[in-house]
Amino acid sequence: MGYTVRDKAAIVGLGTTEFSKDSGRSEMQLAVESVLAALADAGIEPGEVDGLCTYMMDNSSEIDVFRNIGGRNLKVFSRISYGGGGACAPVQQAMMAVATGVAEVVVCYRAMNERSGMRFGQPMVRSSPESEMMLKALHSLQGLQTAAAMMALPMRRYMHETGASAEDFANYSIVARRHAATNPNAFFYGKPITLDDYMNSRMIADPFRLLDCCQESDGAVAVVVTNAERARGLRQKPVYIRAAAQGAPVGTLLCTSYYKPDIVPREECQLVADQLYTMADLTPGDIDVAIIYDHFGPTVLPSLEGYGFCEPGEAKDFIKGGNIELGGSLPVNTHGGQLGEAYIHGMNGIAEGIRQLRGTAVNQVRGAEHVLVTAGTGVPTSGLILGL
Amino acid sequence: MEQTATQDIPPSKRPLPVPHSNRDYDFFYQGLEAGKLLVQKCDGCGTVRNPPGPMCPHCHSLKWTPIECRGTGTVYSYTVHYHPPLPNFDSPHAIVLADMSEGFRLIGGLQGARPEDIRIGMPLVVGFERRGEVSTFHFRLA
Repeated sequence: MGYTVRDKAAIVGLGTTEFSKDSGRSEMQLAVESVLAALADAGIEPGEVDGLCTYMMDNSSEIDVFRNIGGRNLKVFSRISYGGGGACAPVQQAMMAVATGVAEVVVCYRAMNERSGMRFGQPMVRSSPESEMMLKALHSLQGLQTAAAMMALPMRRYMHETGASAEDFANYSIVARRHAATNPNAFFYGKPITLDDYMNSRMIADPFRLLDCCQESDGAVAVVVTNAERARGLRQKPVYIRAAAQGAPVGTLLCTSYYKPDIVPREECQLVADQLYTMADLTPGDIDVAIIYDHFGPTVLPSLEGYGFCEPGEAKDFIKGGNIELGGSLPVNTHGGQLGEAYIHGMNGIAEGIRQLRGTAVNQVRGAEHVLVTAGTGVPTSGLILGL
Repeated sequence: MEQTATQDIPPSKRPLPVPHSNRDYDFFYQGLEAGKLLVQKCDGCGTVRNPPGPMCPHCHSLKWTPIECRGTGTVYSYTVHYHPPLPNFDSPHAIVLADMSEGFRLIGGLQGARPEDIRIGMPLVVGFERRGEVSTFHFRLA
């Protein structure tokens, strides 16, 4: 049986707050500001919202957001696990809900004071009876406690298997900052970096240097999803959800997928990619802009391989020579990525995909019709193909 | 009795937090208390598995036996943690993902090696230590 959801749902509203190191207000306030901005952008009244979706580590509950925006009857509310791997999955939930008629106006949101509040880059040692915490505790007792160190292990293996070098990782890091340098909303606005800057930046968790790491950020992003019929009558050009998928091949764990034969964060991308391209009836060659999740810049390389833009091991060559820059064959992370713009746990990447298709991106790719957006890797993950 | 203030103890010697365990993981920590590195072996099909779990994903048997490992393996991958500071560990702190001789993977801190000397494929050996109330293990290059 084929997929029946292609183009049945569309993103019709986008709302963001500013991105900063200290928002000066509560996470709930960020959430409701972004949700209201997204609804205003769509021209839909808050009272019409009947679905709210987010993902793990968002401290603003669906029900509390609903109460604050003056909602009436919430029919779909879901929360996806696995950190940044869940970034695109709320949109998949929304797509399924509106395509089936279960709901009509679903808002996906992400709001966090991740720098001024709970810092994502700090050692993560906590206790709970959740099954995953047992393995986390075992790793913690060995000193494996930060997201950077957890993701560094598979990327060191990637270097061993593919011959990718620090200079190869620098190539992505430099492109991300080059794109951010012309984005007024980016931390790296007006601040491009050089290879020397990269090589001289201090080690965080070998092989990750400081300039490989996204920055903890405060901010929020929300998007409004409705069915295609309704979308056509609204004020914004609809951004159709060509495809949306989740993927967790056997052995995929939360940042520590170490116990399967191949630990390179690529297999989960392949599982999502296979579904996306089939659902959308597209190939990698049809993608005009790729928003590739970059919690740590080097993971963009195996992601490009997993999503079929080059063969395994060849990303280091693919990203050389301007391919992933504006004007290249596959512009990647035109907003500067999470390395260059801000780290809103992937949701700011969805925002950039929407802007590219609306034609309103600061680094606009002319004539963009299909945008791939991916979520965190090294974890159970998700992805989207958005189109006009 | 005189007590030593925690800040006077180097991070690498500080007591570790008591392990967070459950009925599936208890055998591992009990093994460490006895100075042994234990791993689950399925009674049904003989498959060795890690991380711990109640069911064999191959034959679905719920019966298993903890077997004692030789404590040898090789570096499958590694990282060296530099920043931010870790509670209970000195930085830089090396961590390896080991391919153990019994055919399973294991995460462990690597002691006594300079970061620049670590390579994938190097042979490893397990050592045991007691930190506060907790018995734990580490790797060294063999």
